[in-house]
Amino acid sequence: MAPVVGIVANPVSARDIRRVVANATSLQIADRANILLRVLAALHACGVRDVLMMPENGGIRAHVDRGMMRARARGEDIYPALHPVAMPVTGTVADTHRATAEMRRAGVAALVVLGGDGTHRAVAAECGTVPIAGISTGTNNAFPEHREPTITGLATGLAVTGRVPPHIAFIANKRIDVSLNGGAVTDMALVDVALVTERYIGARALWRTENFRELYVTFADPEVIGMSAIAGLLEPVGRDESGGLMVRLSPDGDCRKGITTLNAPIAPGMMAQVGVTDWRRMPADVAFVPEVAAGSVALDGERELSFTERDRLSLTLRDDAFRTVNVAAVMRHAGQNRLLTGTPVPVTAAF
Amino acid sequence: MAQNPFPLGKDELLKAYRTMRTIREFEERLHVDFAKGDIPGFVHLYAGEEACATGIMMHLNDNDRIASTHRGHGHCIAKGVDVHAMMAEIYGRSTGACRGKGGSMHIADLSKGMMGANGILGAGAPLICGAALAAKVRGDRGVGITFVGDGASNQGTFLESLNLAAVWNLPVVFVVENNGYAESTAMEWAVSCDSYVDRATGFGMPGVTVDGTDFFAVYEAAGEIIRRARDGGGPALLECNMVRFYGHFEGDAQTYRAKGELEAIRASRDCLTILSERVIEAGVIGRDELQAIDREVNALIEDAVRAAKAAPLPVADDLLRDVYVSY
Repeated sequence: MAPVVGIVANPVSARDIRRVVANATSLQIADRANILLRVLAALHACGVRDVLMMPENGGIRAHVDRGMMRARARGEDIYPALHPVAMPVTGTVADTHRATAEMRRAGVAALVVLGGDGTHRAVAAECGTVPIAGISTGTNNAFPEHREPTITGLATGLAVTGRVPPHIAFIANKRIDVSLNGGAVTDMALVDVALVTERYIGARALWRTENFRELYVTFADPEVIGMSAIAGLLEPVGRDESGGLMVRLSPDGDCRKGITTLNAPIAPGMMAQVGVTDWRRMPADVAFVPEVAAGSVALDGERELSFTERDRLSLTLRDDAFRTVNVAAVMRHAGQNRLLTGTPVPVTAAF
Repeated sequence: MAQNPFPLGKDELLKAYRTMRTIREFEERLHVDFAKGDIPGFVHLYAGEEACATGIMMHLNDNDRIASTHRGHGHCIAKGVDVHAMMAEIYGRSTGACRGKGGSMHIADLSKGMMGANGILGAGAPLICGAALAAKVRGDRGVGITFVGDGASNQGTFLESLNLAAVWNLPVVFVVENNGYAESTAMEWAVSCDSYVDRATGFGMPGVTVDGTDFFAVYEAAGEIIRRARDGGGPALLECNMVRFYGHFEGDAQTYRAKGELEAIRASRDCLTILSERVIEAGVIGRDELQAIDREVNALIEDAVRAAKAAPLPVADDLLRDVYVSY
């Protein structure tokens, strides 16, 4: 039986205040639908015939349906059948959680995710062992790699149809678990946890560097933007190595002697100077207790929780927390083994 | 008293709560009095949407202009229009803000920068472009805010205004108050591009979506957008996703709503409850302080209704007064 792929496409990512305070991208709904059509065509080319999709009221599905209808009208059979997950739509992150859980229970072989870091975080919270294939349609997008979605779709199709060995097709990822008051409240981040002094959620995004205090990252990539960029420009830590990095930032933008001053891209097009007092490796499975007594916890670039002096906060990095499709490795394998030619060579990689 | 974690001081928080509570009480009273037949004309209530008007107007002064909609009571109150004059206007009395000749959908007070509610959908957008052009020419750092509902955002006037504001780099903020229904038509049936931010992008200006039931989300986003416009950064669009607690108009049977929808949004998305619980939980404002404001607001509205009912109606000779202005 052909594998089924799930799709989570968030219509409300890339809509926050960073469109104004920076010149962040604002990907239109029609473009998100076009991305999805490209992914669907690639999945179909690999033999995927059925796809489950999270329902939403943002208009993506309607545009996709229109594109598929037009293809059928031209006599083209290039898309798999698209089935919405039967669930009510709330227009909140709860939809992503529920749809992911439903698709996992339905046995999807992989989840293609269109969104920013926040959308991917919501999927990772519920996906279990189902691998994620991420496509960036958000603002900072440190987690999903930037790539033409057709290629992501092809790699996912090749991976789930078993044409690429699992140890090549999938890769483990890290996360940081956030625990408030001994687990009374828990959450997680895929890329970064930032502690800021603002004690309200408000417009969610982070851009006032004078409020930054502590930063914990799963990987520190100097090629990304956002909070992870601060860490990446101090000491790069790969996605595929154990542990992450912890960075302490100086209060009130104070860049005195003895404090490292860093010029970092904290949002698209927004370079900011931050003072750094300390940074060190963050080993896996070791609980870190922040020095900041009160403020907000920003997960993957958005304020999510506020905490006071009375609350006990701890952060623990986990290796091997969830899987993603290793698009680069899959496509390299596809090329080396001519998987997309009429006569592919036998799979040679050992399991 | 706990340290204030919010972006506003205690006095400003109390002011925001008072404004939102005044709007709510004003509208709740109209809901009752309209059903009794005391009020002439049509009434469209803003109850449930108070965080949007208040979070935006906290950043404005009397020199800044707003152009409102048919659902404009909340905008008027948040912009500082006198509640007694508003109530008298809605009751059609000569002591009203427009001498009782405008009614609910035409309340204006230029001294407060309130250019008028407007019974014509989408008509406020070109008006605010004119006001913003004037501010830009004068160089007085004034900004213009116009409000439209999700339905009026389909009007040509609105789209033309987006274009004009972008071309002339006007200090305008277009606020789309998206309560999910254009009268009785759900948004997904009537808005082709699905996202108002997409519309802004199409005209070359940034667009932002916020939870319009969260006062702090609106306040923070509006602050950045208004500061940008005031500093010469040009127009932007702010979409506030919100809920209305009553029908499109008073008397609307609301058969287009799902069963239990109103009860659910009143229980979980009441912006006034959300704000009050946050400030109380943070220990910044005591429940008794908010209750004291509630009592004062109740007395204010009661007095406004009493005064309106006691005021005289316009007379025939008032008919052509204020229709023409000599320059």
